[in-house]
Amino acid sequence: MSPLFAFQLRRVGRNRQYLLFTVALPAAFTVFFTQVFAGAPGGISQEAAAATMVAMMAYGAIGAALGATIRLSFDRASGWLRQLRVTPVPQTSVVAVDVAVGVLLALPPLVVVALVGRFVNGVRLDPGAWVGLVGVLWLGSAVFVALGLLLGWALEEKAAGGAMGLVATVLAALGGLWVPVEIFPSGLRAVAHALPSYWYARTGRDVAAGGLPDLTAVAVLAAFGAAFAVLAVAVARRRPLAAVAG
Amino acid sequence: MPANALDISGLTVRHGDVLAVDGIDLRIGRGETVALLGPNGAGKSSTVSAVLGLLHPAAGTVRVLDRAPADAVRAGCVGAMLQHGGLPSEARVGEVLHLVRRSYPDPWPLEDLVATTGIGGLHARPAEALSGGQRQRVVLALALAGQPPLLLLDEPTSAMDVEGRRAFWTTMRELAARGTTVVFATHHLEEADAVADRVVVLAGGRVVADGSSAEVRSAVSGRTVRLSVTEDADLTALPGVLSAERQAGTAVLTTTDPEATLRVLLDRGIPLADLEVRGASLEDAVLTLTTGAAR
Repeated sequence: MSPLFAFQLRRVGRNRQYLLFTVALPAAFTVFFTQVFAGAPGGISQEAAAATMVAMMAYGAIGAALGATIRLSFDRASGWLRQLRVTPVPQTSVVAVDVAVGVLLALPPLVVVALVGRFVNGVRLDPGAWVGLVGVLWLGSAVFVALGLLLGWALEEKAAGGAMGLVATVLAALGGLWVPVEIFPSGLRAVAHALPSYWYARTGRDVAAGGLPDLTAVAVLAAFGAAFAVLAVAVARRRPLAAVAG
Repeated sequence: MPANALDISGLTVRHGDVLAVDGIDLRIGRGETVALLGPNGAGKSSTVSAVLGLLHPAAGTVRVLDRAPADAVRAGCVGAMLQHGGLPSEARVGEVLHLVRRSYPDPWPLEDLVATTGIGGLHARPAEALSGGQRQRVVLALALAGQPPLLLLDEPTSAMDVEGRRAFWTTMRELAARGTTVVFATHHLEEADAVADRVVVLAGGRVVADGSSAEVRSAVSGRTVRLSVTEDADLTALPGVLSAERQAGTAVLTTTDPEATLRVLLDRGIPLADLEVRGASLEDAVLTLTTGAAR
């Protein structure tokens, strides 16, 4: 493990808020939504319980991936990135570590919410489907790592602080992770279909249902990921690291 | 022959429409201690940034110990304190220091580094909880972490109190004595005067003077002769005098040849009451040089 990777991981791990919002909150929501629907007349089907779990896994992973990466805006503002640039630590490994930290931190919410789904809400899947579900959502989280890096480079410190909480919530709400897209009015449904979060959850639902992820969903996610990455690089290149005054 | 520590030729830096550095040529040999002096906007920070590879010059070349700037930084040849450099949040001083030390091929032994920079006891402190002076000392420790042969300091003492400043420059003199090349940008003329063996004055993105601080001073404004005079004293047409001012019975003459000036004053029968002759301060010199260049 590279020293910078360990260093960055320790910094994020120290942030209790981050852990609360990306792991504890989605886990709590999984229980909450499922129990609420279970109390309704007719109860809750296995499919609905699984869908809620998948949606909360997606929500947690999106929040974790964004939260771990948007924070690079703070390191820009504090001058730490600039300071790091005048040490032998290569710029490529600074970027690689940001990506790796974002991807790694997307995993805990996936695993924790899956465990809650299985043992608290009694969701039953084949062992292969469990592994596939976590795997496909983990892989897909790279799209939101790219988005987080883009926002981290593009936004100033204060805006970035707001975006950390807001973007994941908006992506989750409009992408049908809170409330299923099926009960959206048609206009909102079109909005959902334009968001990567919708397609992300879709890949999870497909795998949880015992199949392979929908090809359209995979293609859309890949396109979003590529676009975010290209934009992130373009924005980062335009950011001067040198002090302009003096 | 070993390469220069710094070889800058024709360096031109633009920030948008603003020409920050206008074709600077500067060679700094190994082991020199050089002050970059000049007002805000003179191009000091831009020059430092170009040397560190933090910006792409519009024209010209920079060689750092015979390498491209980015390569020299990667190789651990350079340590720097930046004006807008900083420490990371959610990290302890010891962790940051550990990370940076490990990135250098030949790090400064930790205990000695901590003692030299005076950051003992700060190891477990979160970076956010440091005072301004402590921060600067930690950043200095980061700059020195790799025992680099070249140190670049951009207004390093701006957040330090008088005592911290003195300790800082004592450390710099020790490093210079060990052969480290130290290049620093500063507003504080007394620092340049006391520490640097060479002063480079920048104004409007150009080098307007370059030499020892004594040379820079003498090259500009000669000496100042001050004496008490009566109203009828004739101060016109004195040899060597560049400017003469009278204020409340005191005459202030700026002269390139104080001896000739004083001899004529005596010949005219003017008593040399309260006579004072002094060299221009570095501050006078820099002011003259930089306002001259701006004109």
